[in-house]
Amino acid sequence: MLQPSPSFRDPAGGCCSFKGRVLRRVAADAVPEFEKFLQTNSARQFLERKQFVSSRRLDENETAVLREAPELESFIATPATGALYEHERIGFPSYPHEWPPEMLWDAGRLTLELARAARADGFGLKDATPHNILFRGSEPVFIDALSFEHRNPGDPIWLPEAQFVRTFLLPLLANRRWGLSLADIFTTHRDGLEPEDVYRWCGPLEKFKPRTLSLVSIPTWLSRRTNPNDRKIYQPHLLANTEKAQFILESLFQRLERTLRSFEPAVRKASTWSNYMATHSYDDPAFAAKEKFVTEALREFKPARVLDAGANTGHFSALAAQAGAAVVAIDQDAACVGTLWRRAREQKLNILPLVMNLARPSPALGWCNRECPSFLDRATGSFDGLLMLALVHHLLVTERIPLAEIFRLAARATSLLLVAEFIAPQDAMFRRLTRGRESLHATLDAKMFEQACTPYFEIVRSLALPGTQRRMYCLKRRDGAV
Amino acid sequence: MFLAYIDPGLGALLWQAIVAGVVGFLFYLKKTRQWIVSLFLRMFGRRRKTGTGTTETIVVTEELVPKVESKTEVR
Repeated sequence: MLQPSPSFRDPAGGCCSFKGRVLRRVAADAVPEFEKFLQTNSARQFLERKQFVSSRRLDENETAVLREAPELESFIATPATGALYEHERIGFPSYPHEWPPEMLWDAGRLTLELARAARADGFGLKDATPHNILFRGSEPVFIDALSFEHRNPGDPIWLPEAQFVRTFLLPLLANRRWGLSLADIFTTHRDGLEPEDVYRWCGPLEKFKPRTLSLVSIPTWLSRRTNPNDRKIYQPHLLANTEKAQFILESLFQRLERTLRSFEPAVRKASTWSNYMATHSYDDPAFAAKEKFVTEALREFKPARVLDAGANTGHFSALAAQAGAAVVAIDQDAACVGTLWRRAREQKLNILPLVMNLARPSPALGWCNRECPSFLDRATGSFDGLLMLALVHHLLVTERIPLAEIFRLAARATSLLLVAEFIAPQDAMFRRLTRGRESLHATLDAKMFEQACTPYFEIVRSLALPGTQRRMYCLKRRDGAV
Repeated sequence: MFLAYIDPGLGALLWQAIVAGVVGFLFYLKKTRQWIVSLFLRMFGRRRKTGTGTTETIVVTEELVPKVESKTEVR
């Protein structure tokens, strides 16, 4: 399926995904500048560090073959097209509305680092949005290779500064100050928060705090007192003294870096579920048995791409990553996901942690709902392993999802292996969720669980965890189950 | 070259321009300071004695005096 990329707004070119390949169209006028940037020290240095996407220019034969594809007709046939490039594919695509604040912060750090490095080579970053970044595991990669243009050395203004503030700094400020999740912000505000939006939320004292004053209050006051039709504001003000212009620009980047550093998310204190690993209802032998069961299933089926749904702080995601799988770990608790991201970074585990509730997965967003495909669209066909550990009872009780629906979704998400945990209504964690509604689940037992999974999965083996009301299942998806 | 296509904001752009003006002024202050320091060093930058009678070594770096061709250690 042809999917336009988030970079189609750029008049210099566009991007699309075609049969698993990532193709970029570059306008004829922009090709020399693009080629020149790819040869700069900054581009090479970040490419070497795997923080910049690799690009390969397609030769005439390859381009001719692509021109034959009817799906690419409107993409390639644009009159201004000068050259086609192919980029490496960066794992499972994720978007800012699915990241914990830690990942947005890290994406902002990379954006500024690249902008400063490119400046030294005479290039400027022309847009500063988190949509320029994807994560390879827990590591950010700058993917919009066309975002760089030659800068006039006498220009002391960095136009994307306001966009950097809107899409990185203000969301981090709102998350820290008012606890707004990035999903709340970016699902409805693709281009982040305007200073005027944040100004309305600030109390009288808040407006005069140094960071708020500079990022929110002064820009708001200035915009209220300025004639928006005054075109002079947007005209470039080039300085004859290029050393002075570069001094001003460097000072701007330093200021932005200091501000970003001050918004670095702190190591989270306890959230509702962040202490789950210490407070769950099993004792050590039961937990060891569960760990062994999961390890054996991973060893037997050797999934290459695993989705860990309800990952918590990622104990089992780490097991899958250590077994060699590329893991996407989802949990609705941003504190847990932030903790997992730190762990994955420190231990260099191939885990992409995302803030996601499987009962309300992130929707398709953007123009025609095609700029950011929904989580389920991206997940379908992307995994051959799925872990649903201590999750099914949440979906059953809290979300009121029928068992059959849960297995239908599981069969869509994995092409091979499902490791699931059944938790009986008598379990302490189950009772905590029911809040007096035990009668709704009085008939639920392991037999009912097995009956619900049978249309989609065959039971390879199961194991009752000793001393608990829980049972582990290793399930293999039936061919043609979906 | 393609024109920038992102929204540069209004208040934020003006604020950046105002700060740029202030930083531009600081640039001249820095240059003036560097010029005075280099002038001072040219005049008195040889060995000098402190009030206690010990010899003070002045290290002149490129950062302080950009026009000096190489790092000079005055003893």
